Amino acid sequence: MILNKIKTEGLKKEDPGIIPAMERRAFLKMGLLITGVFAGGSILSATSIVEKAFASSREFADKYPYKPHYSMVIHQDRCIDCELCMTACVKANNVPTYGYRTRILERDDPKASERKREFIPVLCNQCNNPPCVLGCPTKATYKNPANGIVMMESKKCIGCKTCMAACPYNARYFNEETMAVEKCDFCFNSRLSKGEKLTACAEACPAKARIFGDLSDPASEVYQSVHNLEKTVWVLRPEAGAKPNVFYMKG
Amino acid sequence: MRTKKLSVLILILAVAAMITVYEGLVVAEDDIVGGGEIIYTKPVKSVLFSHKSHAAMGMDCNVCHDKIFQMEALSAQNKADFNMKGLYDKKYCGSCHAKDGMAFASDTQCARCHIGTKGFNKAPKEAKK
Repeated sequence: MILNKIKTEGLKKEDPGIIPAMERRAFLKMGLLITGVFAGGSILSATSIVEKAFASSREFADKYPYKPHYSMVIHQDRCIDCELCMTACVKANNVPTYGYRTRILERDDPKASERKREFIPVLCNQCNNPPCVLGCPTKATYKNPANGIVMMESKKCIGCKTCMAACPYNARYFNEETMAVEKCDFCFNSRLSKGEKLTACAEACPAKARIFGDLSDPASEVYQSVHNLEKTVWVLRPEAGAKPNVFYMKG
Repeated sequence: MRTKKLSVLILILAVAAMITVYEGLVVAEDDIVGGGEIIYTKPVKSVLFSHKSHAAMGMDCNVCHDKIFQMEALSAQNKADFNMKGLYDKKYCGSCHAKDGMAFASDTQCARCHIGTKGFNKAPKEAKK
């Protein structure tokens, strides 16, 4: 893969072999716990999620690496594609007509027993191991050290679009006016930094399909959903190894 | 002799044409049952109500009209209680689509009726009013 060859600009590649014994043990303990979450689904997805979906193993010993650790849980079966989230996002973040920061995917299954269609909201997954940040040659895109949001500093962006090619979630677009790549920042610039508690999309959703919150807070709804042993929780494209912070569930 | 042959041919053609027209009519009638397909766009875009699939289950017009729904298409969506809460209170679709009702409950299978903005954009023109 081309990605593996890109120089990492100070970001270390993870190697499970170098985790010290104590941390490794703590990680395994946590791994067993999370495996329980996925036991309702398939054991295969359980192990892959433990290794790939969550915070990097070193950081994931006992706590989430950021405070607040912003995250979104999407109740996939609740989405009705009213697209009020998309409208709210465009309004809040000045998204041009040819780009998007969030959109709704559609999947049809004519042979399904009852409901034959489902809608899947997608947005930047604010990955803990973001391929876009690894790929950026100018550090224009970076992980916010406080809350883990993948941010853009547009004046540093040279428009090479490496990040767009690197993103496993196709969550970036090139703004032809500013000549810089733009993306979802969980409404950090437009709302969170101004004291708002929710992203525009989460606030606009009439079906409570998008739950936004702090994954490091055990009292938050996102924590409770991700750590609920009764429900199966998954992420999109876990094989990309990006460790996303957007989780999906049904019910 | 020739005229006889010709008249027989014309007769056969005429009968064939009549059958085609008749079949055409039957097909057309099948397509539009009652008020046809109705797409609600309020309070959210959008919800499909299919007269055809409801009638196909053997339901008579008076099951819904006009105690639950007025005959005029889309008149329900101008009412303030035409939303999911109203349905859970057994109004409109919720009269039958309830937990103990005769059809699947309103709080299940969301995307069975909610065809979304994409569904609205894909729908044929005559369904959009």
